[in-house]
Amino acid sequence: MADKLVSLSEAVGLIKNGDLLGIGGMSLYRRPMTLSREIIRRGIKDLGILSFIAGLPSDMLIGSHCASRIRSCYVGFEMFGLAPNYRRAAENGALEIIEETEVTIVLGLKATLLQVPHLPTRGIRCTDVMKVRKDLKEYTCPLSGEKLVALPPIKPDISIIHVSMADRMGNAHIDGAVWLDEDLAKASGKVIISAEKIVETEEIIRTPSRANIPHFMVDAVVRAPFGAHPTSCFPFYTYDAKHIRKYLEVSNSDNGFSEYLNTYVYQTKTHEEYLDQVGASTLSKILL
Amino acid sequence: MYSEDFTADEMVVVCMAREIKDHDVLAQGIATPLVTNAYLLAKKTHAPNCTPMFHMGNTYVLETHPVSLLYFEKYVNTWAIRFQHSGEVTMEHLPSGRVNIEYFRPAQIDMYGNFNNTCIGEWHSPKVRLPGAAGIPEVSITYKKILLYVPRHDRRCFVPKIDFVSGVGFLDGKTTREEMGFPGKGPYHIITDLAVLGFDDKTKRMKVISLHPGVTREEIQGKTGFELIIPKDVPTTEPPTKEQIRVIREEIDPLGIRLLEFLPAEERDELFDRIIEIETSR
Repeated sequence: MADKLVSLSEAVGLIKNGDLLGIGGMSLYRRPMTLSREIIRRGIKDLGILSFIAGLPSDMLIGSHCASRIRSCYVGFEMFGLAPNYRRAAENGALEIIEETEVTIVLGLKATLLQVPHLPTRGIRCTDVMKVRKDLKEYTCPLSGEKLVALPPIKPDISIIHVSMADRMGNAHIDGAVWLDEDLAKASGKVIISAEKIVETEEIIRTPSRANIPHFMVDAVVRAPFGAHPTSCFPFYTYDAKHIRKYLEVSNSDNGFSEYLNTYVYQTKTHEEYLDQVGASTLSKILL
Repeated sequence: MYSEDFTADEMVVVCMAREIKDHDVLAQGIATPLVTNAYLLAKKTHAPNCTPMFHMGNTYVLETHPVSLLYFEKYVNTWAIRFQHSGEVTMEHLPSGRVNIEYFRPAQIDMYGNFNNTCIGEWHSPKVRLPGAAGIPEVSITYKKILLYVPRHDRRCFVPKIDFVSGVGFLDGKTTREEMGFPGKGPYHIITDLAVLGFDDKTKRMKVISLHPGVTREEIQGKTGFELIIPKDVPTTEPPTKEQIRVIREEIDPLGIRLLEFLPAEERDELFDRIIEIETSR
């Protein structure tokens, strides 16, 4: 079995300019932040983002000009507010938005797995999503005669997913909610895993639900304790609400966001330096 | 025994909870502490056998727990009777009707209950790009009934024409929705801080079902950007009971997290700081 445990920069080196990048986790939870920050440090360009319920990684990749298009059905920070860089780019016409819904993403990934040209939905008709998505087509079902909408496949080139633990081969285990991460891994050309802990395979076997993402779907594994900070990673830590509030406050301007990037991305060359910058006392406060 | 000192947010929570029947299965959307309050209130009072599904984990949870800003994810994960993948929720439980209650908070709504969560202004160059419609374009068509709520009833939300149709209501009114043959029957009730609203059987225009205590016909019409149907004998909304208010304040949401959804953005900062401080120091 191949040992896929590599350095952060080696792993992110798999991502190419122009790739459609799948981002695991949801909203404020279990987002691959260490991997996202490394993408920004490396200055990867013209990424498309695929994120089911998008938040901080998408907002940072857009603000730092790594991503120029996004496929999502929600981009925001829940109660904390709107996504500042996403908003600015969308309102200035500086971002290509492919307006998705939950079902266009879920069935788009499924269509990729089934290798069919489309999957149908009864929804979306009569909404304005049909007006801004010329690639969705209404058609008459050949069996029932009903009007349905054909949803095309979505295939991410590569996905980044943060998990609670993985072994060196890439058998990745998620504690708590999985959201769309298994489908994302299955449908993606390549997968990079960051894990809170690197464990022996036996430890994965001992968990009740075992590996959510098996090794043969995974191309690289990175060890990243607190690798979802400032988002959460159950059962280890909740999100850093103060950090997220600060991020939203400063990112209301391009300058403020640049300063944030300098402090937490460019001037911290490694994940360890990032954790030092955040500080042990802050990290201890978010532990569950 | 009716309460005599309830606040507008508590009236909204109680009205939302009243729509829930015992044994209902309830979906909760993103950033909706008022909905969490309503579901927990229903479960702790008149609908003990209802089953909430919380978006943070796509988990069904039977235990009740106070609303929390920082630790709600831990609660819905720790006490889950079942985790579901997002695909399972989106493709199976929502369209099949297994989940039969979900509340949506529109940014804009028109007189036929069509609503917008996508953008203010033109989609290609919006004035405000909103987070997005998530599952709404699908479930507004498939849900048997759609429930909506608006914490601040005003002309910014209740508009003559919405900028983007994210959720389908009664389209152009009358039988226009029915003619599409959708599985779902369309919007049912809208709970706001002023009233409970519904739709006229024939025209499908929005009408007032009951006005909250102290709200006048003039006030609600003045805060609505289109003509409402207000029946001559429109009743007053039944006030919350003393017990409902006690459960909200003491058991469900002692920190007042529901107010994050209720207050205008500029008044939220202090509340955020206070909640984070209290929860972090526990």
